Amino acid sequence: MSDKLAVSEVTLPSVRSRRRLLHPRTLWAYLFVSPAIVALLLFTIGPILFTLWVSVHNWNLIEPISQMPFVGLENYRYLLTKDAIFQRALRNTFVFAVCGVGANTVLGLLGALLLNTRLRARVFWRTLFFLPIVTAPLALGMMWAVLLNKNYGLINNLLGLGGLPTQPFLSSPKQALACIIGVAVYQYVGYYIIIYLAGLQGIPQEYYDAAAVDGASSWQSFRHVTLPLLRPVLLFIAVTNTIGALQVFDIVFAATTGLAGETSGGGPANSTMVVALHMYNTAFKFFRMGRATAMAVILFVIIFVITLIQLRLLRERT
Amino acid sequence: MARRQLTSTAIAGTVLKYLILVLAGAWMLLPFFWMFSASLMTSQEVTRLPPPLLPAQLQWHNYIDVSRAVPLVRAYLNSLLVTILTVIGILFTSSLCGFAFAKYQFPGRDILFMLVLASMMIPFFVTLIPVFYIVKQLGWLNNYAGLILPGVVSAYGIFLMRQFILDIPNEFIDAARIDGASEFRIYWQIIIPLSTPALATLGSFNFVGTWNAFLWPLLVAQSRELYTVPLALNSLRTYGMEAQFHHLQMAGTAISVIPAMLVFVALQRYFVKGIALTGLKG
Repeated sequence: MSDKLAVSEVTLPSVRSRRRLLHPRTLWAYLFVSPAIVALLLFTIGPILFTLWVSVHNWNLIEPISQMPFVGLENYRYLLTKDAIFQRALRNTFVFAVCGVGANTVLGLLGALLLNTRLRARVFWRTLFFLPIVTAPLALGMMWAVLLNKNYGLINNLLGLGGLPTQPFLSSPKQALACIIGVAVYQYVGYYIIIYLAGLQGIPQEYYDAAAVDGASSWQSFRHVTLPLLRPVLLFIAVTNTIGALQVFDIVFAATTGLAGETSGGGPANSTMVVALHMYNTAFKFFRMGRATAMAVILFVIIFVITLIQLRLLRERT
Repeated sequence: MARRQLTSTAIAGTVLKYLILVLAGAWMLLPFFWMFSASLMTSQEVTRLPPPLLPAQLQWHNYIDVSRAVPLVRAYLNSLLVTILTVIGILFTSSLCGFAFAKYQFPGRDILFMLVLASMMIPFFVTLIPVFYIVKQLGWLNNYAGLILPGVVSAYGIFLMRQFILDIPNEFIDAARIDGASEFRIYWQIIIPLSTPALATLGSFNFVGTWNAFLWPLLVAQSRELYTVPLALNSLRTYGMEAQFHHLQMAGTAISVIPAMLVFVALQRYFVKGIALTGLKG
C-alpha cells in the first residue's frame, strides 16, 4: 500500500509535466514570450557577455572578432593606472552623482511638502516642476549653455543688474562641473517630487491626528511621523537616481562639446569629463573597443554593487 | 487675541508658501521663457548688452530659417516614425510576454522570468558597443531598422505588464475559452482592453524616452536623411555655438521640445503614476 503510494507520487508530476508540454496552450505561451525573449537575448543578455569578452581583448571594431588578440586584464590595468582622463572621469562622475542626488533628495522633499499642502492651482504648480523631466536632456543642455554664456548669457546679466561680479561658468575649469550638476538638479527635481508626493500621500492621516492629540508641533510630527515613514521612499529614489546619474552623457555632451573648438567634450581641461563620454570617445573616435568595454564593465560593477545594496535595504524594510 | 495671532501667523505662512512657489516656479520656467523669447529675436538682440527680455518685433521667420539650416522637418517625420513604431513594438512585446508570464504554466517559465529580471539590472550604456556591432553586422547601420529594432523590447515593460495582468481575473479568460476563443484572441480582445492603464503608462514613458533619445541615434543615423530631432538639434549646435546664432538655436530647441510636452500634458496622469509606481526615468 505504502509502496504504491510512493510510486504514484514519483511518477505523477513527470506525467503531468509531459502532458503540459504537449498542450497547445504551452506552445502558445512559448510563442507569446518569444519576440521579447529573443530581443532581450540579442540586445541585452548577449551584449553584456560580449562586453565582458571584448574587455580582455584588443579590438578596433573592424577586425573580425575571431582574430582579436587576447590581452588579459591589460585594458583594466591601463585604465586604473595610466589613463588619467578615465580617473578624472570616474571622479567627476562620482561628484556629479553624489552632489546631484544629494541636492535633489533635499530639494525634492521640500518641493513635495510644499505641493502636498492646501494650494490653489496645484496642478499648475506641479506641472511647472515636471516640465524639465519630459524635455530632452540635449535641449536642456543647450538652453542652459545659452543662459550661462560668459558674455551674452542672461544669468550673467542678471548678476550684473544685482551688482554682482559676472562668472565664467561653463568656460571655467573650476565652475563647469558645478554648472552641469545644477542643470541636472534643475532637470530631475520634479521626478523626486513625484515620488515623494506618492510617498506622502501613502501616510495615513490618522498618524498625524494621533501626533496632534499628543500635542506634537508640526516640526515634531514631521520629524517623528513623516520622515521615518518616508525613509524607504528616500532610499529608493537616492539609489535609483545614483544609478542613473552614474551614466550621465547627454547633458555633458550638450553643454560642453562645440565650445571654443572643444570637440571631445568634457571640458574645459576635462573638468566635466564623465565615464560615459570618455567611453564614447574611446570607442567611436579612437576605436579602442577593448578599453571602452573595460570602462563599461567597471561602471557596471559599481552600479551592480549599488543595486545589491538597494535590494538589501528594500528587503530589510519588508 | 490668541485667535487673531494664530490667523496672522497662518497668513504669513501662506504668503511665504506662495512666495517660495512663485520664485521656484519662475526658476523652473526661466530656461523655457528665454528659449521662446530668444527664438523670436534678431541676431543683434541676442548679442546686445544687457540683452532685452523680450524681442522688439517677433521674428517668426527664425523658425523657417532654422528649418532650412538643418533638416528639421525631415527630422520631425523621422522622430515621429521611429518613436511611434518603437512604442508600438514595446507595448506589443511587453504585453504579450507579460500575459504569458502571468497566465500560463510552462516549463522554463521561472528561468525566463529571472532572465527578464536580470535584464532590468543591465544599464543600456554597458551594452552599447556590442549592440552597435550586432546592428552593424545585421546591416542595420544608417537605416530605420537600426534606429527602431534594438528599442522594441523593455525588460521593465515586461515586468510591469506581468504585474498588471496578474490582477486580471482568470474567469474572463476561462469564459472566453469556453466560448471557443483562440489564445491570441483572448490576448487581443480581453487582455489588451483591460490593460489600458498599464499600456498608457508604459507608452507615455517610452514615447518621451524615445523622442528624447540622443546617444543611440547619434551612433546609428549617420546620414542627414535619417536624423531624428535631437540629432538635428545637435548639428545646429555644432553649426555655431557663437552667440550670434543663439536665436536660431533656441528656435530649433523650441520646435523640438513641443511634442514631448504635449504628450506629457495629455497623459500627465499616467506619466506621474508611472514614475510613482516604478521610479523609472523617461
